[in-house]
Amino acid sequence: MTEVLALLIFPGGIALLLAALLYEWINRKLAARLQNRVGPRWFQPLADLVKLLAKEEIIPQGAQPVLFDLLPIVSLAAVTTAALYTPLFGLAPAGSFPGDLIVAVYLLSVLSLCTSLAGLITDDRYALVGGLRVLTQLFSYEAPFLLALLLPALVAGSWQISVIAAYTSEHTWLLLTQPVGFVVAVIGLMGKLELPPFDAPEAHTEIVAGSLTEYSGRGLALFRLSRNVVLIVGLTLIAALYLGGVANPLLFFAKTLLLLVGVTIAQMLFARLRIDQTVGLWWRFGVLLALGQWLLTLLGKAVA
Amino acid sequence: MLTRVWEHTLGEVVQWARVNSPWALHFNSGSCNGCDIELLATLTPRYDVERLGVKLQGSPRQADLLVVTGAVTRQAKDRLLRIYAQMPEPRFVMALGSCALSKGIFHDCYNVVGPVDVFIPVDVYVPGCPPRPEAIIAGMVALLGKLQAAPAAEAQT
Repeated sequence: MTEVLALLIFPGGIALLLAALLYEWINRKLAARLQNRVGPRWFQPLADLVKLLAKEEIIPQGAQPVLFDLLPIVSLAAVTTAALYTPLFGLAPAGSFPGDLIVAVYLLSVLSLCTSLAGLITDDRYALVGGLRVLTQLFSYEAPFLLALLLPALVAGSWQISVIAAYTSEHTWLLLTQPVGFVVAVIGLMGKLELPPFDAPEAHTEIVAGSLTEYSGRGLALFRLSRNVVLIVGLTLIAALYLGGVANPLLFFAKTLLLLVGVTIAQMLFARLRIDQTVGLWWRFGVLLALGQWLLTLLGKAVA
Repeated sequence: MLTRVWEHTLGEVVQWARVNSPWALHFNSGSCNGCDIELLATLTPRYDVERLGVKLQGSPRQADLLVVTGAVTRQAKDRLLRIYAQMPEPRFVMALGSCALSKGIFHDCYNVVGPVDVFIPVDVYVPGCPPRPEAIIAGMVALLGKLQAAPAAEAQT
Protein backbone atom coordinates (compact mmCIF):
# COMPACT_ATOMS: atom_id res chain seq x y z
CA MET A 1 0.00 0.00 0.00
CA THR A 2 2.69 2.50 0.98
CA GLU A 3 4.59 1.56 -2.16
CA VAL A 4 1.59 2.33 -4.33
CA LEU A 5 1.15 5.64 -2.51
CA ALA A 6 4.84 6.41 -3.01
CA LEU A 7 4.54 5.67 -6.72
CA LEU A 8 1.33 7.58 -7.39
CA ILE A 9 1.24 10.44 -4.87
CA PHE A 10 4.56 11.19 -3.21
CA PRO A 11 7.43 11.39 -4.09
CA GLY A 12 6.55 10.00 -7.56
CA GLY A 13 3.35 10.59 -9.50
CA ILE A 14 1.32 13.67 -8.66
CA ALA A 15 3.94 15.33 -6.45
CA LEU A 16 6.53 14.90 -9.20
CA LEU A 17 4.24 16.40 -11.86
CA LEU A 18 3.27 19.35 -9.63
CA ALA A 19 6.92 19.95 -8.77
CA ALA A 20 7.71 19.84 -12.49
CA LEU A 21 5.11 22.57 -13.12
CA LEU A 22 6.57 24.59 -10.22
CA TYR A 23 10.07 24.34 -11.70
CA GLU A 24 8.76 25.44 -15.10
CA TRP A 25 7.14 28.46 -13.45
CA ILE A 26 10.37 29.35 -11.60
CA ASN A 27 12.27 29.07 -14.87
CA ARG A 28 9.82 31.27 -16.79
CA LYS A 29 9.43 33.82 -13.99
CA LEU A 30 13.19 34.16 -13.56
CA ALA A 31 13.65 34.53 -17.31
CA ALA A 32 10.99 37.24 -17.30
CA ARG A 33 12.58 39.09 -14.38
CA LEU A 34 15.98 38.93 -16.11
CA GLN A 35 14.36 40.55 -19.16
CA ASN A 36 12.86 43.25 -16.91
CA ARG A 37 9.33 41.87 -17.33
CA VAL A 38 6.73 40.97 -14.72
CA GLY A 39 6.39 37.44 -16.01
CA PRO A 40 3.72 34.74 -15.71
CA ARG A 41 1.51 34.18 -12.65
CA TRP A 42 2.29 31.24 -10.38
CA PHE A 43 -0.45 28.99 -11.80
CA GLN A 44 0.49 29.67 -15.44
CA PRO A 45 2.03 26.24 -16.25
CA LEU A 46 -0.99 24.49 -14.69
CA ALA A 47 -3.43 26.63 -16.72
CA ASP A 48 -1.43 25.91 -19.90
CA LEU A 49 -1.47 22.20 -19.17
CA VAL A 50 -5.21 21.97 -18.45
CA LYS A 51 -6.06 24.11 -21.46
CA LEU A 52 -3.95 21.92 -23.77
CA LEU A 53 -5.46 18.73 -22.33
CA ALA A 54 -8.96 20.08 -23.05
CA LYS A 55 -8.17 21.26 -26.56
CA GLU A 56 -9.16 19.53 -29.79
CA GLU A 57 -6.56 16.98 -30.92
CA ILE A 58 -5.98 17.13 -34.66
CA ILE A 59 -4.31 14.13 -36.27
CA PRO A 60 -2.95 15.55 -39.52
CA GLN A 61 -3.22 13.83 -42.88
CA GLY A 62 -0.21 11.67 -43.68
CA ALA A 63 0.74 11.08 -40.04
CA GLN A 64 0.85 7.64 -38.44
CA PRO A 65 -2.25 7.85 -36.18
CA VAL A 66 -1.20 5.17 -33.68
CA LEU A 67 2.34 6.48 -33.24
CA PHE A 68 1.06 10.05 -33.19
CA ASP A 69 -1.02 9.25 -30.10
CA LEU A 70 1.47 6.87 -28.54
CA LEU A 71 4.71 8.87 -28.64
CA PRO A 72 3.81 11.53 -26.02
CA ILE A 73 2.56 8.82 -23.66
CA VAL A 74 5.74 6.76 -24.10
CA SER A 75 7.95 9.77 -23.47
CA LEU A 76 6.09 10.79 -20.30
CA ALA A 77 6.13 7.19 -19.05
CA ALA A 78 9.87 6.87 -19.70
CA VAL A 79 10.87 10.07 -17.92
CA THR A 80 8.64 9.39 -14.90
CA THR A 81 10.21 5.93 -14.71
CA ALA A 82 13.63 7.58 -14.73
CA ALA A 83 12.44 9.70 -11.80
CA LEU A 84 11.93 6.54 -9.73
CA TYR A 85 15.70 5.94 -9.64
CA THR A 86 16.66 9.47 -8.64
CA PRO A 87 16.58 10.86 -5.08
CA LEU A 88 13.63 13.23 -5.68
CA PHE A 89 13.31 16.03 -3.10
CA GLY A 90 16.37 14.58 -1.37
CA LEU A 91 14.47 11.43 -0.37
CA ALA A 92 15.66 7.90 -0.98
CA PRO A 93 14.83 6.73 -4.53
CA ALA A 94 11.87 4.38 -4.96
CA GLY A 95 13.97 1.81 -6.79
CA SER A 96 17.68 1.14 -6.70
CA PHE A 97 19.97 -1.46 -8.25
CA PRO A 98 23.61 -1.51 -9.40
CA GLY A 99 23.79 0.37 -12.71
CA ASP A 100 20.62 2.43 -12.33
CA LEU A 101 22.54 5.60 -13.26
CA ILE A 102 22.89 4.35 -16.86
CA VAL A 103 19.25 3.29 -16.98
CA ALA A 104 18.06 6.68 -15.69
CA VAL A 105 20.19 8.62 -18.19
CA TYR A 106 18.96 6.52 -21.10
CA LEU A 107 15.32 6.73 -19.99
CA LEU A 108 15.74 10.52 -20.03
CA SER A 109 16.93 10.27 -23.65
CA VAL A 110 13.66 8.62 -24.64
CA LEU A 111 12.10 12.09 -24.56
CA SER A 112 14.46 13.30 -27.30
CA LEU A 113 13.88 10.14 -29.33
CA CYS A 114 10.10 10.46 -29.05
CA THR A 115 10.19 14.18 -29.92
CA SER A 116 12.28 13.40 -32.96
CA LEU A 117 10.03 10.55 -34.10
CA ALA A 118 6.99 12.75 -33.55
CA GLY A 119 8.41 15.09 -36.17
CA LEU A 120 9.49 12.35 -38.54
CA ILE A 121 6.14 10.54 -38.75
CA THR A 122 4.27 13.58 -40.10
CA ASP A 123 4.31 15.01 -43.60
CA ASP A 124 5.02 18.51 -42.33
CA ARG A 125 8.36 19.78 -43.65
CA TYR A 126 9.02 21.95 -40.60
CA ALA A 127 8.40 18.98 -38.33
CA LEU A 128 10.76 16.88 -40.49
CA VAL A 129 13.55 19.45 -40.20
CA GLY A 130 12.88 19.76 -36.47
CA GLY A 131 12.97 15.98 -35.99
CA LEU A 132 16.29 15.70 -37.80
CA ARG A 133 17.71 18.54 -35.72
CA VAL A 134 16.60 16.87 -32.49
CA LEU A 135 18.41 13.68 -33.56
CA THR A 136 21.55 15.57 -34.60
CA GLN A 137 21.61 17.37 -31.28
CA LEU A 138 20.98 14.13 -29.41
CA PHE A 139 24.07 12.59 -31.00
CA SER A 140 26.16 15.63 -30.12
CA TYR A 141 25.33 16.16 -26.42
CA GLU A 142 24.56 12.61 -25.35
CA ALA A 143 28.15 11.35 -25.17
CA PRO A 144 29.61 14.29 -23.19
CA PHE A 145 26.55 14.38 -20.89
CA LEU A 146 26.90 10.67 -20.15
CA LEU A 147 30.67 11.03 -19.60
CA ALA A 148 30.08 13.92 -17.22
CA LEU A 149 27.47 11.99 -15.21
CA LEU A 150 29.70 8.90 -15.10
CA LEU A 151 32.60 10.86 -13.57
CA PRO A 152 31.10 10.73 -10.05
CA ALA A 153 30.47 7.03 -10.65
CA LEU A 154 34.17 6.61 -11.41
CA VAL A 155 35.17 8.56 -8.30
CA ALA A 156 32.75 6.72 -6.02
CA GLY A 157 33.52 3.36 -7.61
CA SER A 158 29.88 2.43 -8.16
CA TRP A 159 27.21 2.78 -10.86
CA GLN A 160 24.37 3.02 -8.36
CA ILE A 161 22.89 6.49 -7.79
CA SER A 162 22.21 5.99 -4.07
CA VAL A 163 25.76 4.71 -3.44
CA ILE A 164 27.30 7.67 -5.31
CA ALA A 165 25.01 10.09 -3.46
CA ALA A 166 26.03 8.55 -0.14
CA TYR A 167 29.71 8.84 -1.16
CA THR A 168 29.40 12.50 -2.21
CA SER A 169 27.57 13.52 0.95
CA GLU A 170 30.49 12.20 3.01
CA HIS A 171 33.33 13.69 0.96
CA THR A 172 34.12 17.11 -0.50
CA TRP A 173 31.56 18.28 -3.04
CA LEU A 174 32.50 16.93 -6.45
CA LEU A 175 31.75 20.41 -7.80
CA LEU A 176 35.08 21.47 -6.20
CA THR A 177 37.15 18.44 -7.20
CA GLN A 178 35.56 17.85 -10.64
CA PRO A 179 34.53 21.37 -11.83
CA VAL A 180 34.85 20.57 -15.54
CA GLY A 181 32.58 17.55 -15.29
CA PHE A 182 29.99 19.67 -13.46
CA VAL A 183 29.99 22.35 -16.15
CA VAL A 184 29.67 19.77 -18.94
CA ALA A 185 26.81 18.06 -17.09
CA VAL A 186 24.86 21.31 -16.61
CA ILE A 187 25.32 22.37 -20.23
CA GLY A 188 24.43 18.85 -21.35
CA LEU A 189 21.19 19.12 -19.41
CA MET A 190 20.44 22.40 -21.18
CA GLY A 191 21.04 20.63 -24.50
CA LYS A 192 18.73 17.81 -23.47
CA LEU A 193 15.99 20.28 -22.57
CA GLU A 194 16.48 22.25 -25.82
CA LEU A 195 16.88 25.45 -23.83
CA PRO A 196 18.65 28.38 -25.47
CA PRO A 197 21.39 28.41 -26.77
CA PHE A 198 20.57 24.86 -27.87
CA ASP A 199 17.01 25.56 -29.07
CA ALA A 200 17.75 25.11 -32.78
CA PRO A 201 15.36 22.07 -32.90
CA GLU A 202 12.37 24.26 -32.07
CA ALA A 203 13.55 27.58 -33.45
CA HIS A 204 10.33 29.57 -33.78
CA THR A 205 11.78 32.02 -36.27
CA GLU A 206 12.96 29.30 -38.66
CA ILE A 207 10.91 26.11 -38.40
CA VAL A 208 7.61 27.14 -36.70
CA ALA A 209 7.68 24.84 -33.66
CA GLY A 210 10.13 22.16 -34.73
CA SER A 211 9.12 18.55 -34.52
CA LEU A 212 6.02 19.34 -32.43
CA THR A 213 4.54 21.62 -35.12
CA GLU A 214 1.62 19.27 -35.81
CA TYR A 215 0.76 18.56 -32.17
CA SER A 216 -2.21 20.55 -30.89
CA GLY A 217 -3.88 19.31 -27.71
CA ARG A 218 -3.12 16.38 -25.46
CA GLY A 219 0.08 15.34 -27.23
CA LEU A 220 1.64 18.76 -26.83
CA ALA A 221 0.60 18.88 -23.16
CA LEU A 222 2.24 15.51 -22.46
CA PHE A 223 5.43 16.48 -24.31
CA ARG A 224 5.66 19.73 -22.35
CA LEU A 225 5.04 17.89 -19.11
CA SER A 226 7.70 15.29 -19.87
CA ARG A 227 10.20 18.03 -20.66
CA ASN A 228 9.49 19.57 -17.24
CA VAL A 229 9.95 16.19 -15.59
CA VAL A 230 13.31 15.85 -17.38
CA LEU A 231 14.23 19.29 -16.01
CA ILE A 232 13.51 18.28 -12.42
CA VAL A 233 15.09 14.82 -12.75
CA GLY A 234 18.20 16.25 -14.41
CA LEU A 235 18.62 18.94 -11.75
CA THR A 236 18.10 16.30 -9.04
CA LEU A 237 20.72 14.03 -10.60
CA ILE A 238 23.30 16.79 -10.92
CA ALA A 239 22.62 18.05 -7.40
CA ALA A 240 22.89 14.54 -5.99
CA LEU A 241 26.07 13.69 -7.89
CA TYR A 242 27.95 16.98 -7.83
CA LEU A 243 26.50 19.16 -5.06
CA GLY A 244 27.06 17.01 -2.02
CA GLY A 245 24.55 14.22 -2.41
CA VAL A 246 21.21 13.87 -0.68
CA ALA A 247 20.41 16.11 2.26
CA ASN A 248 17.24 17.14 4.05
CA PRO A 249 14.52 18.09 1.52
CA LEU A 250 14.74 21.84 2.17
CA LEU A 251 18.49 22.01 1.63
CA PHE A 252 18.17 19.78 -1.44
CA PHE A 253 15.45 22.04 -2.86
CA ALA A 254 17.77 25.02 -2.30
CA LYS A 255 20.53 23.23 -4.21
CA THR A 256 18.35 22.38 -7.21
CA LEU A 257 16.94 25.92 -7.14
CA LEU A 258 20.47 27.31 -7.26
CA LEU A 259 21.20 25.08 -10.27
CA LEU A 260 17.97 26.23 -11.92
CA VAL A 261 18.95 29.88 -11.42
CA GLY A 262 22.31 29.15 -13.05
CA VAL A 263 20.66 27.38 -15.98
CA THR A 264 18.17 30.24 -16.47
CA ILE A 265 20.88 32.90 -16.43
CA ALA A 266 22.90 30.92 -18.99
CA GLN A 267 19.75 30.54 -21.06
CA MET A 268 19.21 34.31 -21.08
CA LEU A 269 22.88 35.16 -21.74
CA PHE A 270 23.47 33.25 -24.95
CA ALA A 271 21.88 33.51 -28.37
CA ARG A 272 20.79 30.46 -30.32
CA LEU A 273 23.56 28.39 -31.90
CA ARG A 274 23.21 27.05 -35.43
CA ILE A 275 22.84 23.28 -35.49
CA ASP A 276 26.37 22.82 -36.91
CA GLN A 277 27.76 25.12 -34.21
CA THR A 278 26.03 23.00 -31.56
CA VAL A 279 27.60 19.82 -32.92
CA GLY A 280 30.99 21.55 -33.19
CA LEU A 281 30.79 22.86 -29.64
CA TRP A 282 30.07 19.44 -28.21
CA TRP A 283 32.52 17.37 -30.21
CA ARG A 284 35.36 19.93 -30.27
CA PHE A 285 35.13 21.07 -26.64
CA GLY A 286 32.53 19.16 -24.61
CA VAL A 287 33.82 15.67 -25.21
CA LEU A 288 37.46 16.70 -24.93
CA LEU A 289 36.86 18.53 -21.64
CA ALA A 290 34.97 15.57 -20.19
CA LEU A 291 37.63 13.12 -21.37
CA GLY A 292 40.38 15.34 -19.95
CA GLN A 293 38.62 15.33 -16.60
CA TRP A 294 38.33 11.55 -16.84
CA LEU A 295 42.08 11.22 -17.49
CA LEU A 296 42.92 13.50 -14.56
CA THR A 297 40.60 11.56 -12.28
CA LEU A 298 42.06 8.22 -13.39
CA LEU A 299 45.58 9.58 -12.83
CA GLY A 300 44.58 10.84 -9.40
CA LYS A 301 43.13 7.46 -8.51
CA ALA A 302 46.27 5.69 -9.76
CA VAL A 303 48.57 7.97 -7.74
CA ALA A 304 46.54 7.83 -4.55
CA MET B 1 -26.70 13.81 -10.47
CA LEU B 2 -23.12 13.14 -9.47
CA THR B 3 -22.03 13.06 -13.11
CA ARG B 4 -23.69 16.44 -13.66
CA VAL B 5 -21.82 17.98 -10.71
CA TRP B 6 -18.60 16.41 -11.94
CA GLU B 7 -19.13 17.67 -15.48
CA HIS B 8 -19.99 21.15 -14.22
CA THR B 9 -16.83 21.29 -12.08
CA LEU B 10 -14.71 19.97 -14.93
CA GLY B 11 -16.23 22.56 -17.24
CA GLU B 12 -15.39 25.33 -14.80
CA VAL B 13 -11.79 24.14 -14.44
CA VAL B 14 -11.39 23.98 -18.22
CA GLN B 15 -12.92 27.43 -18.58
CA TRP B 16 -10.55 28.81 -15.93
CA ALA B 17 -7.57 27.30 -17.79
CA ARG B 18 -8.82 28.64 -21.12
CA VAL B 19 -9.26 32.18 -19.77
CA ASN B 20 -5.81 32.14 -18.20
CA SER B 21 -3.78 30.74 -21.07
CA PRO B 22 -4.62 32.24 -24.46
CA TRP B 23 -1.75 31.51 -26.85
CA ALA B 24 -1.68 33.84 -29.80
CA LEU B 25 -0.75 33.44 -33.46
CA HIS B 26 -0.08 36.48 -35.57
CA PHE B 27 -1.17 36.62 -39.21
CA ASN B 28 -0.67 39.54 -41.56
CA SER B 29 -3.37 39.45 -44.23
CA GLY B 30 -2.18 42.54 -46.10
CA SER B 31 -1.37 45.08 -43.46
CA CYS B 32 0.98 48.06 -43.92
CA ASN B 33 3.02 46.65 -40.96
CA GLY B 34 1.95 49.45 -38.62
CA CYS B 35 -0.31 47.16 -36.60
CA ASP B 36 2.32 44.40 -36.67
CA ILE B 37 4.87 46.69 -35.07
CA GLU B 38 2.35 47.67 -32.40
CA LEU B 39 1.53 44.01 -31.77
CA LEU B 40 5.24 43.26 -31.36
CA ALA B 41 5.54 46.25 -29.02
CA THR B 42 2.77 44.66 -26.93
CA LEU B 43 4.96 41.58 -26.51
CA THR B 44 8.02 43.57 -25.37
CA PRO B 45 9.02 43.80 -21.69
CA ARG B 46 7.37 47.23 -21.33
CA TYR B 47 3.84 45.82 -21.81
CA ASP B 48 4.55 42.12 -21.14
CA VAL B 49 1.36 40.23 -21.98
CA GLU B 50 2.80 37.06 -20.42
CA ARG B 51 1.20 38.50 -17.26
CA LEU B 52 -2.12 37.47 -18.83
CA GLY B 53 -0.72 34.17 -20.02
CA VAL B 54 -0.51 35.32 -23.65
CA LYS B 55 2.36 33.66 -25.51
CA LEU B 56 3.18 34.05 -29.19
CA GLN B 57 3.18 30.63 -30.85
CA GLY B 58 4.74 29.72 -34.16
CA SER B 59 2.35 26.96 -35.15
CA PRO B 60 -1.39 27.46 -35.80
CA ARG B 61 -1.93 23.99 -34.28
CA GLN B 62 -0.85 25.30 -30.89
CA ALA B 63 -2.64 28.66 -30.89
CA ASP B 64 -5.98 29.66 -29.37
CA LEU B 65 -6.12 33.24 -30.56
CA LEU B 66 -5.57 34.29 -34.16
CA VAL B 67 -4.57 37.95 -34.40
CA VAL B 68 -5.23 39.21 -37.93
CA THR B 69 -3.84 42.56 -39.03
CA GLY B 70 -4.78 44.36 -42.22
CA ALA B 71 -7.46 44.19 -44.89
CA VAL B 72 -7.63 40.80 -46.59
CA THR B 73 -5.99 40.86 -50.02
CA ARG B 74 -6.84 38.52 -52.87
CA GLN B 75 -3.53 36.74 -52.36
CA ALA B 76 -3.80 36.38 -48.57
CA LYS B 77 -7.42 35.20 -48.51
CA ASP B 78 -6.70 31.51 -49.11
CA ARG B 79 -3.83 31.54 -46.63
CA LEU B 80 -6.03 33.16 -43.99
CA LEU B 81 -8.72 30.52 -44.47
CA ARG B 82 -6.15 27.73 -44.37
CA ILE B 83 -4.49 29.04 -41.18
CA TYR B 84 -7.92 29.35 -39.56
CA ALA B 85 -8.81 25.81 -40.61
CA GLN B 86 -5.54 24.50 -39.14
CA MET B 87 -6.31 25.83 -35.67
CA PRO B 88 -7.88 23.38 -33.20
CA GLU B 89 -11.16 24.17 -31.44
CA PRO B 90 -11.85 26.26 -29.42
CA ARG B 91 -10.34 29.10 -31.45
CA PHE B 92 -10.82 32.84 -31.29
CA VAL B 93 -10.04 35.62 -33.71
CA MET B 94 -8.99 39.18 -33.02
CA ALA B 95 -9.21 41.71 -35.85
CA LEU B 96 -6.53 44.30 -35.24
CA GLY B 97 -6.57 47.79 -36.72
CA SER B 98 -8.90 49.82 -38.91
CA CYS B 99 -8.06 47.86 -42.09
CA ALA B 100 -8.96 44.49 -40.53
CA LEU B 101 -12.23 46.03 -39.32
CA SER B 102 -13.37 47.87 -42.42
CA LYS B 103 -10.60 47.83 -45.07
CA GLY B 104 -9.51 51.30 -43.82
CA ILE B 105 -7.55 53.37 -46.29
CA PHE B 106 -7.36 50.41 -48.66
CA HIS B 107 -11.16 50.35 -49.08
CA ASP B 108 -11.18 50.71 -52.87
CA CYS B 109 -7.93 48.98 -53.78
CA TYR B 110 -8.21 46.57 -56.74
CA ASN B 111 -6.62 43.70 -54.79
CA VAL B 112 -8.49 44.00 -51.49
CA VAL B 113 -11.39 41.57 -51.13
CA GLY B 114 -12.79 42.60 -47.78
CA PRO B 115 -12.39 43.04 -44.05
CA VAL B 116 -11.57 40.01 -41.92
CA ASP B 117 -15.10 39.26 -40.68
CA VAL B 118 -16.33 38.61 -44.21
CA PHE B 119 -14.26 35.41 -44.30
CA ILE B 120 -13.88 34.14 -40.73
CA PRO B 121 -15.89 34.83 -37.55
CA VAL B 122 -14.27 37.56 -35.46
CA ASP B 123 -14.59 37.54 -31.64
CA VAL B 124 -13.04 40.88 -30.78
CA TYR B 125 -12.39 44.03 -32.79
CA VAL B 126 -9.58 46.44 -31.89
CA PRO B 127 -9.87 49.72 -33.83
CA GLY B 128 -7.06 52.19 -34.43
CA CYS B 129 -4.56 53.11 -37.11
CA PRO B 130 -2.52 51.57 -35.63
CA PRO B 131 -4.01 50.64 -32.24
CA ARG B 132 -1.74 51.39 -29.30
CA PRO B 133 -0.42 48.44 -27.24
CA GLU B 134 -2.77 49.50 -24.44
CA ALA B 135 -5.69 49.13 -26.86
CA ILE B 136 -4.49 45.66 -27.88
CA ILE B 137 -4.24 44.60 -24.23
CA ALA B 138 -7.73 46.04 -23.63
CA GLY B 139 -9.00 43.96 -26.57
CA MET B 140 -7.42 40.80 -25.16
CA VAL B 141 -8.94 41.49 -21.74
CA ALA B 142 -12.34 42.06 -23.38
CA LEU B 143 -12.06 38.69 -25.15
CA LEU B 144 -11.07 36.94 -21.92
CA GLY B 145 -13.95 38.62 -20.11
CA LYS B 146 -16.31 37.31 -22.78
CA LEU B 147 -14.90 33.80 -22.30
CA GLN B 148 -15.24 34.11 -18.54
CA ALA B 149 -18.87 35.21 -18.82
CA ALA B 150 -19.84 32.26 -21.05
CA PRO B 151 -21.59 29.42 -19.16
CA ALA B 152 -19.17 26.67 -18.16
CA ALA B 153 -21.08 23.94 -19.99
CA GLU B 154 -20.60 25.86 -23.21
CA ALA B 155 -16.88 26.20 -22.57
CA GLN B 156 -16.49 22.45 -22.31
CA THR B 157 -17.40 21.73 -25.92
